Amino acid sequence: MLADKDRIFTNVYGFQDWGLKAAQQRGDWDNTKSLIARGQDSIIDEIKASGLRGRGGAGFPTGLKWSFMPKESKDGRPSFLVINADESEPGSCKDREIIRHDPHKLIEGALIAGFAMRARAAYIYIRGEYIREAQTLQAAIEQAYEAGLIGKNASQSGYDFDVFLHRGAGAYICGEETAMIESLEGKKGQPRLKPPFPAGAGLYGCPTTVNNVESIAVVPTILRRGAAWFSSFGREGNHGTKLFQISGHVEKPCVVEEEMSIPFRELIERHCGGITGGWDNLLAVIPGGSSVPLVPAEQIMDAPMDFDGLKELGSGLGTAAVIVMDKSTDIVRAISRISYFYKHESCGQCTPCREGTGWMWRMMERLRTGDAAIEEIDMLQQVTKQVEGHTICALGDAAAWPIQGLIRHFRPELERRIEEHNAKFAEAAE
Amino acid sequence: MSFLGKIFTWWNGATIGTSLFTMRRGEKVGTDAQGNTYYRSRNKRDMTTAGSYIGAERRWVIYEGANDASRVPPEWHGWLHGSFDDVPESYLPPAKIWETEYVPNATGTADAYRPQGALERGGKRVKAVGDYEAWTPE
Amino acid sequence: MPKVTVDGQEIEVPNGATVLQACELAGKEIPRFCYHERLSIAGNCRMCLVEVKPGPPKPQASCALPATDGQEIRTDTDMVKTAREGVMEFLLINHPLDCPICDQGGECDLQDQSMMYGRGATRYEENKRAVTEKYMGPLIKTIMTRCIHCTRCVRFSEEIAGVDEIGAIYRGEDMQITTYLEQAASHELSANVIDLCPVGALTSRPYAFEARPWELKKTWSIDVSDAVGANIRLDSRGREVMRALPRINDAVNEEWLSDKGRYQVDGLSRRRLDKVYIRKDGKLVPAEWNEAFAAIAAANPKGSIAAVAGDLVDCETMFAAKALLGALGSDHLEGRQTGLDYDCSNLAAVNFNSTFEGIENADAILIVGSQVRWEAALVNVRLRKAAKRGAKIFVVGPQWDTTYPATFLGEDAAVLHDLPQAITEAFSKAERPAVIVGGGGLAKGALHPALAFAEQFNLVREGWNGFNVLHMAASRMGGLMLGYAQKGGIGNIAKAKPNVLISLGADELDYGAFADSLKVYIGHHGDAGAHAADIILPGASYAEKDGTYVNTEGRVQFAEKAVFAPGDAREDWTILRAMADALDVSVGFDSFAELQSAMIAAVPALGEEGLADFGQLPNADASIRASGAISYPIADFYMTNVVARASATMQRCSSELLHHDDLKEAAE
Repeated sequence: MLADKDRIFTNVYGFQDWGLKAAQQRGDWDNTKSLIARGQDSIIDEIKASGLRGRGGAGFPTGLKWSFMPKESKDGRPSFLVINADESEPGSCKDREIIRHDPHKLIEGALIAGFAMRARAAYIYIRGEYIREAQTLQAAIEQAYEAGLIGKNASQSGYDFDVFLHRGAGAYICGEETAMIESLEGKKGQPRLKPPFPAGAGLYGCPTTVNNVESIAVVPTILRRGAAWFSSFGREGNHGTKLFQISGHVEKPCVVEEEMSIPFRELIERHCGGITGGWDNLLAVIPGGSSVPLVPAEQIMDAPMDFDGLKELGSGLGTAAVIVMDKSTDIVRAISRISYFYKHESCGQCTPCREGTGWMWRMMERLRTGDAAIEEIDMLQQVTKQVEGHTICALGDAAAWPIQGLIRHFRPELERRIEEHNAKFAEAAE
Repeated sequence: MSFLGKIFTWWNGATIGTSLFTMRRGEKVGTDAQGNTYYRSRNKRDMTTAGSYIGAERRWVIYEGANDASRVPPEWHGWLHGSFDDVPESYLPPAKIWETEYVPNATGTADAYRPQGALERGGKRVKAVGDYEAWTPE
Repeated sequence: MPKVTVDGQEIEVPNGATVLQACELAGKEIPRFCYHERLSIAGNCRMCLVEVKPGPPKPQASCALPATDGQEIRTDTDMVKTAREGVMEFLLINHPLDCPICDQGGECDLQDQSMMYGRGATRYEENKRAVTEKYMGPLIKTIMTRCIHCTRCVRFSEEIAGVDEIGAIYRGEDMQITTYLEQAASHELSANVIDLCPVGALTSRPYAFEARPWELKKTWSIDVSDAVGANIRLDSRGREVMRALPRINDAVNEEWLSDKGRYQVDGLSRRRLDKVYIRKDGKLVPAEWNEAFAAIAAANPKGSIAAVAGDLVDCETMFAAKALLGALGSDHLEGRQTGLDYDCSNLAAVNFNSTFEGIENADAILIVGSQVRWEAALVNVRLRKAAKRGAKIFVVGPQWDTTYPATFLGEDAAVLHDLPQAITEAFSKAERPAVIVGGGGLAKGALHPALAFAEQFNLVREGWNGFNVLHMAASRMGGLMLGYAQKGGIGNIAKAKPNVLISLGADELDYGAFADSLKVYIGHHGDAGAHAADIILPGASYAEKDGTYVNTEGRVQFAEKAVFAPGDAREDWTILRAMADALDVSVGFDSFAELQSAMIAAVPALGEEGLADFGQLPNADASIRASGAISYPIADFYMTNVVARASATMQRCSSELLHHDDLKEAAE
């Protein structure tokens, strides 16, 4: 169990004030100048050594990502850091807690990360629905400006750095890094083709790195306490601490910081008071937000909650938004609803996702009531395969995986519904 | 209709023979919107006689006016051909307001359809390829 | 030069090529919808998926993937085949199966590619999507349910036309392509999106339900609606031209065509002159050819005859008229109907020397008195490209809506003698500076000041000639080469008071100045010229005769005859030949081939398709000063020539798009 002294987000429950003064008492903005004085390469090396992997879902090593940024601008283009606070994944709510209660961790992280990648400014793209959170964050940014912590000669380090807050308009796809850049530029939020990657040509054509809120917010603490401390948590390749967001059929849903690789059973028992109706009542778990396949109860119970451990189960850690479903859940309906979400949020740019998400949802709706043929399950599986990997961004994959997970683990349930429906129909016809 | 008229204009309504047969054996079932009258045989014996399938009831129509089979509207056509046994008014759902009146086949009459460009419609054909509008000084 | 392997075949591809281009170089066909050579890469149709090693173990969109050394590309594997089938299936699930009533049928990319790369049968049993109809103006007919969201139209209007008119609204499967606030697309290249649309979502409104592509005879022709000389294909059925489509010619029109060139063809079957008319007692009455020729002979044309060429005539007609006049002992030839009188002693000085392809590379451009968008819409596309590459553009003349950043220097042409500092700065630094003098500038005497400007800034240098004159009439350069330019212009001819005036389709001419002449109008449309004429001899339009045209950059091009002229109308040269007989003179040719060889013997440059060489620019005559406020000669883009004025489509465009009359049908 993560000891209290090892927690990075010391105010994640909001017991204390979010303001600058309280944050400074918690240790934020403590001699940021000296952190910056370590120099860019040393910061990046430290982050690389800590084993921090991106907290936005894909789990790409953060330090490595930063090192792709140009060391110096050859043609006068500035570099930018874009912070992804467009947290729209169903089940995910960690960034909200950070911004609500610990915004200064994020702003300090933005300064340090921005300095490390030689960025001119940071753009924080916050989800449109986060109204109070945007107000809090804006107020926190203003506090930091007033205190001279960011802006010209940020924290007396001699480095000029601005932080801008940009509110989205409520589109899930704007959480995709290139779509977010498009949206920041004022265009329709549609993912760009890669290459060129944002590190080469991103926001306004300049080198850009897009990072998740949590990845940025943990940076100052890692630098203060050292890479070795951070990497002492979790298994090899999955180091550090992580905000888990447990929702669904547990006694006490919560957002909690835990070390990586904690077994699922321990996580639930310790922080959530167990599954409703006991462990025997557990049906399935979606361990990383709606876009990863579900894992049935018997496989998840003692699995370690980290990137590699869940990958072995055919799922993924994603944003660590753990959605717990007990046996009262209509699992087909749940996945169908997720399917509807992706149909609704597809940007419509590329064909497989635009047309496929609607098709998949409609088929899921029929499978929910059983109004289908058994062969159509295989057809649905094939359609998901036709979407997966054929799209510009990962939304197509995200729409396909939950359905694939359902078919993989709950095919008997689907068949039962179809047979039941057919039997009812046959009865009525007689 | 006068008796002589009935003899000599055999193309209108029933002939004498049919009229007599109808009087003797027929039972009136109903009349359609055009005034055509529909009959069926009164007794079972006729069912097996010629002109009818074995076991089926014999049904016939006496036209009000010209003996033109296309004057039977579709609802009575169904009754006449044994598709249903009740009279159309009770068997079929009431007519919808958007249904148009039944029109008999107009071929050969003045109401017959003439395509655009026919002389009866002024002989002005639609524009075809190669037509052009010539300039005149006025 | 990276080396890649395509299906086991090793080829070398140019730097910067994409995988798709590499496959094409290797002779492999890659299906595509969104990719277009002249537009930016969108990569959203996902039809061009291929397998590429090294790379992730999934198919890659070849249109957006740069070819790099050592790539192994497969276009024939099972993975590629299933990927294509999958994408095709997705495209088709919401595409209506209304090919039998779709105007794109027979020339539809989706149709062709679904035959080639699609599955045989459908598996989709849900309801199809329907999209509400959009209104895109009098030229573009929309059936948006058919749209497959390739966004070619969006990219065209944004990148090529430079007008942000078309875009996408909503998202996911509800995404819809529409014009801004559903207003009509109103720029002069709008109809090109019809060609770009790979399906039947955007089709041609005037051509709707007219013909199927396989019924049409295709004839290669040249557009005469402006002096660009866009290469077109006339599609005709029987005796009627059904539509005009652009041909690909990178040097002239790339693959675009202005709306006027495309849609004026319906004017070819309206207001046609189809019989001979003679004015008797002040009224034009139908007559016989012999009667008309006798009347001309009676007017005593010997030595006192003039010919004025209209804007649409071909070189052969002009040469035949010139030969006739020569035989009659006259050289009163003129083509500049509106009375322009610029110095034509050296044709290099009145030519678009940079060429259209070249002007794209200019880095500083001064436009003197030209509303390029209306006078040469396709040149404006080139100027926009130049501006995108960083060219600084200055305009002398009244403000107009450029599709690129431009600095307006005021309306007074005298600014050429007193250049603002911005210009001198930009031009002295520029590597490839250019000046473009338009009709408005020529009218104010800007030709020699522009030549002086060219000398001052050294516009002609190694590998670059930056001096350009932009004409508006398709016949202008050919006419100038054939000597249809008098010192003193049309006024001089009027002063000579010829007994007979032969008007070769000249409708912009002020016939009042020729009150005493017998005015013989040889043309194809009843317009101003026909009304003023004493004798009308019905001729052939550009679609109805073979002919040579020279565009404003001096490019000689040959157009073919698509259909026959209506009624009693004849090809113009035969009329002139018959007239020669009637007037008892010899013109020296009896057939079109003889006429052409005589013309080529007289002006060899007309015998060779391609750019004519006009030699060195003359020295500027510093004594000629430009002055006065410039005005543009075109008042209405859609109404510039007789064919367009007769065209119902062009009339509708003019009233709806330019004059904003509400002509929208009630049903829409």
